[in-house]
Amino acid sequence: MDILSHLDFATAIKELTPELWQGLLIALEATVGGFLLAVVLSVLIAVGRLSESKVLKGILVVILEIVRGTPLLVQLVYMFYVVPLLISLVAQFFIPDYQFQLNPLFAGILGLGINYGCYLSEVVRAAILSVDKGQTEAALALGYTQRQALWSIVIPQATRQAIPVFGNYLIMMIKDTSLLAFITVNELLLRTQAYASQTFLTIESYTILAIAYLILSLPLSQVVRLLEKGFSKHA
Amino acid sequence: MPKPMIEVTQLHKSFGSLEILKGIDLDVHQGEIVVIIGPSGSGKSTLLRCLNCLELPTSGTVKVEGENFADSSGRYNEKRVAKLRTEIGMVFQSFNLFPMMTAVENVMAAQVKIRKKSKEEARKTAEKYLKKVGLAERMDHYPDQLSGGQKQRVAIARALAMEPHIMLFDEATSALDPELVGEVLKVIRELADEGMTMVLVTHEMRFAEEIGDRIIFMDKGMIVEEGKPDELFNAPKHQRTKLFINQVLHPEAEKV
Repeated sequence: MDILSHLDFATAIKELTPELWQGLLIALEATVGGFLLAVVLSVLIAVGRLSESKVLKGILVVILEIVRGTPLLVQLVYMFYVVPLLISLVAQFFIPDYQFQLNPLFAGILGLGINYGCYLSEVVRAAILSVDKGQTEAALALGYTQRQALWSIVIPQATRQAIPVFGNYLIMMIKDTSLLAFITVNELLLRTQAYASQTFLTIESYTILAIAYLILSLPLSQVVRLLEKGFSKHA
Repeated sequence: MPKPMIEVTQLHKSFGSLEILKGIDLDVHQGEIVVIIGPSGSGKSTLLRCLNCLELPTSGTVKVEGENFADSSGRYNEKRVAKLRTEIGMVFQSFNLFPMMTAVENVMAAQVKIRKKSKEEARKTAEKYLKKVGLAERMDHYPDQLSGGQKQRVAIARALAMEPHIMLFDEATSALDPELVGEVLKVIRELADEGMTMVLVTHEMRFAEEIGDRIIFMDKGMIVEEGKPDELFNAPKHQRTKLFINQVLHPEAEKV
């Protein structure tokens, strides 16, 4: 009961909130960057996997298995610590003593984007396959090539179907930015950790952090639900 | 005799080991209206889909206005096929309108994308053809706000807006409620009166009889009989044709 009487939420809220605002901005930067990358990658991967080329399909399947078979956190760490070393190693053949470094936030965006891109590509692929074959045929009959039919008729429809699912992944990504704390990105979790260890307001700090994430994701879930309604029109 | 608009020579089409078309020869001339009838599974839709290369022939050739779909080495080059297809309009049983576009946008899309027309020009053409099919009032409606008959008329306008020389109709009224069939047939009849070259697959025998210059009866992947509507419907030469026409015109009667 001693702990309870020492709880000091007032102080924690007062001191931690400004920190969290700062962290939130960085988390949002990571989410926007990561998600844009993920969307682009997901469409490219999905189209690649539906292409005729066996080599391309094979390469993509291997990449997908690697990404889905390893934890996101491991991928982030790998992207931040290992990839720059590998690049330096190769670059040193041409430029002696070259040291390549990756900005932590940028590494995080790459890691999140690639990981989510792989998962989203399955959503996009399913959406493309679910578009009625008659749509492609109608376009072909009008003189579109396969590629033109795919990009200007099928993919716009597939994207509309995929957008609500994308929304859910977006919310997941916002929460997953907390993993960037492990690669020194100064987002919400890292700031909270720092504050808690300085003040020993452990319960208060992490409770506030959890609530902050809730406040962030609950309204977004609502937005996604609205999107779902909006995009089911004329589909 | 003028050069045929469509020339089909020894066309074979198989799906796996299943042979759907077993050597079709068919010419369609300028302004001619050819109606293909036959029981389901006879290959009539497949034949129609071969005419604009939606199905690639297994062997044999399809020529449109003297141009072979396959190039000189017998391959089907995508660009070449796509270009030839712009001369052929096609109307599908299930309309296949683009759901995220309004009626007028549906009719504009290929004009802008394929014919490289400006948006204004494409819109003008689209409005002209939507007016022609009697849908001037519905231009800004989305497909899901239109009835089946209206959708099919938009689909016809969409095909016409490419100003094709040939129109193909693949059971254009089969998916429609009975009371909506008439409005679509009326549009097709108007096209016929204007001298459009057309090939239709249909189950509407009365319409076939009335509109067709030539009726082709297909069964089991072959052309069994062809002739003027009057001859084919009233005095079919082959037993199979007789049987089919009897069954379709008098479904309530017992099989002969």
